[in-house]
Amino acid sequence: MCWMCDKYGEGGLWYLNPKLYARQMYRLREPGQGPQNFGQLGLREGDERPMTLSEVIRIRNDEPERYSEALNLLNDDIRTHATGQAIPLQDAIKIAELGVPMASMFCLCRKRMRAIEEREEEEYSCLGTGPGMFKWERWPERYRGGVHFMPPNEVKEWLEKWNKRGFMHIIMTMGVGYVEGICNCEYPDCDAIRHRLDYGVLSMLKGHYVARVDYDKCNGCGICIQRCQFGAAKFEVRMDKTNIDQYLCYGCGLCETGCPRGAITMVDRMSLPGLREVW
Amino acid sequence: MEVDVTRKIPTIEIDHSRCTVPFLCAKCVRTCPQAVFLVDSVKVERFKETDPREPGSFKLGTESRFKCTGCNECVDVCPVDAITITWPQ
Repeated sequence: MCWMCDKYGEGGLWYLNPKLYARQMYRLREPGQGPQNFGQLGLREGDERPMTLSEVIRIRNDEPERYSEALNLLNDDIRTHATGQAIPLQDAIKIAELGVPMASMFCLCRKRMRAIEEREEEEYSCLGTGPGMFKWERWPERYRGGVHFMPPNEVKEWLEKWNKRGFMHIIMTMGVGYVEGICNCEYPDCDAIRHRLDYGVLSMLKGHYVARVDYDKCNGCGICIQRCQFGAAKFEVRMDKTNIDQYLCYGCGLCETGCPRGAITMVDRMSLPGLREVW
Repeated sequence: MEVDVTRKIPTIEIDHSRCTVPFLCAKCVRTCPQAVFLVDSVKVERFKETDPREPGSFKLGTESRFKCTGCNECVDVCPVDAITITWPQ
């Protein structure tokens, strides 16, 4: 179990704990009460944190020699709060039963990073969970044109659609043990993946699974390699098969859902002594 | 995370008097192979959507400047010559 499970899971996977979707979690966010909102750390003036995300980004560019120290301060702060995690499609579908009300909206990361705005409902690739979705009209800049409310069955189909297109799923929190939503993401336009891979920020933890290739079934077609966001899957020429480096794998399962031969299984990270503490 | 402190990082200057509607233009943002740039709305108001056509409503930034390799494709593609990349000696 990852440290998010230790803290919020009550014996199971943290993001499958129904309490983290409960309306009561909103009360923690009253001014002056409860933890700060990590999702906004460094973006909001007046945050008094040991280190902020925006400062870490600045230091990486301007003062690389100070970077390790700054990054450790931020990551230690994140560990005392909450963060997001890579999840496979199967777990995202389970969440579709828990997160009601759920509504899709445009992806803010993609809008910032590539100036790509998802303007139509069918394009929306970000999912918000919880009663906060009823407040969307206050922030039209974030929820441009409104949000699209969906029942669980529609959310499941919607998740499968994006997975098929090659987006991985990330469960997001607001820096407290409250689930904010599910993103459908890819490198480099996703903030969470970007900050983890390029900056080492624990904006997204590795998932609870690790991909394993069955060499008897794999025919080296390479579809999984195209789908991997992390450079973990590579074509191994001599073997004529895919090789997946389990230390680079984030457990998103895109390779598994894309494999036409069922040659990839997602194994429990906890079953691997070398990986069970690698998040 | 180990950082190679000897690797050179350029400064990238954006002339915001020339680059006024980056969200509408977005040429550099979509051209950059390293995805160095980002565009942020700088006029965020409650109950009001930011108009990307309004000059100055969005601002071009260079968040991941340390990833720049100096290919200069953004400089070439910029229609208003607003980008200058300078490498340390």
